[in-house]
Amino acid sequence: MKYKDYYAILGLERGATEDAIKKAYRRLARKYHPDVSKEPNAEEKFKEVAEAYQTLKDDDKRKAYDALGTHPAGQEFQPPPDWQQQWEPSGAWRAGGKSAGGQSTGGESSFSSGGFEGLDLSDLFDRLRGGGGRGGRGGARASMPGEDYEIAVPITVADAYGGTEIDLDLNMPEYDAQGQLRRVPHAFKARIPRGATDGQRLRVPGKGGKGFNGGRNGDLYLNITLRPHALYRANGHDLYLDLPLAPWEAVLGTSVEVPTPGGPVRLKVPAGTQAGQHLRLPRRGLPKPKGDPGDLYAVVLIVVPSVLDDAQRALYRQLEETSTFQPRAHFSEEGSYAS
Amino acid sequence: MRVELTEMLWFEEHVVSLSELAELTGLPAATLEELVSSGAIEPIDASAAEPRFGAVALSAARHARRLREDFDLDTQALPLVMGLLERIDALEQQLRSLRARSPGRPGRRSGP
Repeated sequence: MKYKDYYAILGLERGATEDAIKKAYRRLARKYHPDVSKEPNAEEKFKEVAEAYQTLKDDDKRKAYDALGTHPAGQEFQPPPDWQQQWEPSGAWRAGGKSAGGQSTGGESSFSSGGFEGLDLSDLFDRLRGGGGRGGRGGARASMPGEDYEIAVPITVADAYGGTEIDLDLNMPEYDAQGQLRRVPHAFKARIPRGATDGQRLRVPGKGGKGFNGGRNGDLYLNITLRPHALYRANGHDLYLDLPLAPWEAVLGTSVEVPTPGGPVRLKVPAGTQAGQHLRLPRRGLPKPKGDPGDLYAVVLIVVPSVLDDAQRALYRQLEETSTFQPRAHFSEEGSYAS
Repeated sequence: MRVELTEMLWFEEHVVSLSELAELTGLPAATLEELVSSGAIEPIDASAAEPRFGAVALSAARHARRLREDFDLDTQALPLVMGLLERIDALEQQLRSLRARSPGRPGRRSGP
């Protein structure tokens, strides 16, 4: 199992006071909690911080952690031989490990050599919570609900348009037959229905961690995010597409082919189309799980050629001379100036 | 390792009772009742005798549970924080919507 330096994660020295641990946690939670943070790796960072805090704030767990010794962060290590006896008097490690290997993962036991492989460091301390004679183990076993599991699922516009299947490889904390938490790999395919879009959530009931002793199974929550697309910007199920037009196309009107997720579509641009105007293509946006699909809007941009030959320049001059169009007529209206 | 194909359930379609909400989120029913009376969690139909909660409430309640655990918030602070976060969400949604509507890269495609 890989060693994690819980003190370093919290930015503390070993031997930090309880108060310092709490303060460090609060400061880092404020910075990295995914609900309040805009840091890029907030979720990951917060998980580390929370895990470190869960262990160090509890006196027993902290002592057990300190008894593991000091190792470089990320290094493979084994707890010292007497560690189990001292912190897990019942020796449930080995027993728990073996039967879980046989039962819940269906062969391929990864706990052959002592019960620690395949465990995450945090699992050691999760076990202490239920262990030590307080509930969870021993006499009557309380039922425990499985853990909920929440993951972000980025999908493309094409996925949202047509639906997709994603492969999920999750290492979920689960209770084994002994009521011990351990990580169990779960691989499954999930079908994302068409019409999923940014910010939507899907719940997969019972697909989180398994409950223990009659406790309900946890749920799996998928938070859908839409990857940015080179052409389309999504707003709910509506899509927005920039439509650059030449000045004469906007003035005279035209018909242009525009891309939509379902294939190219002819769009009539009426004469006198202004920059910034939205031309709506009904039902050409993203499908919804129920009801009409969203719309696609072409957002008009008027773009001008940067290179002109003499003949073209002469035509523009001619237009300049003959036109009476006053684009800034409203500037001279009353009230434009303070005095 | 078994590989199975799982159908997704639209989160939006899920409707639960208060006790189911408590079970799903791990929040005590009493705390949920306080969150409902403070308006931080809203039932689908506030006038119903037996309140039912939809996806928005489930999401809010899970959120409340996280905030309470991770920040040690009390029952007074919890609805306040949730209200502020909700406003930030709404503003961000508005910002995304405005960004989607306004031209992205003006002049990018201009050429001869």
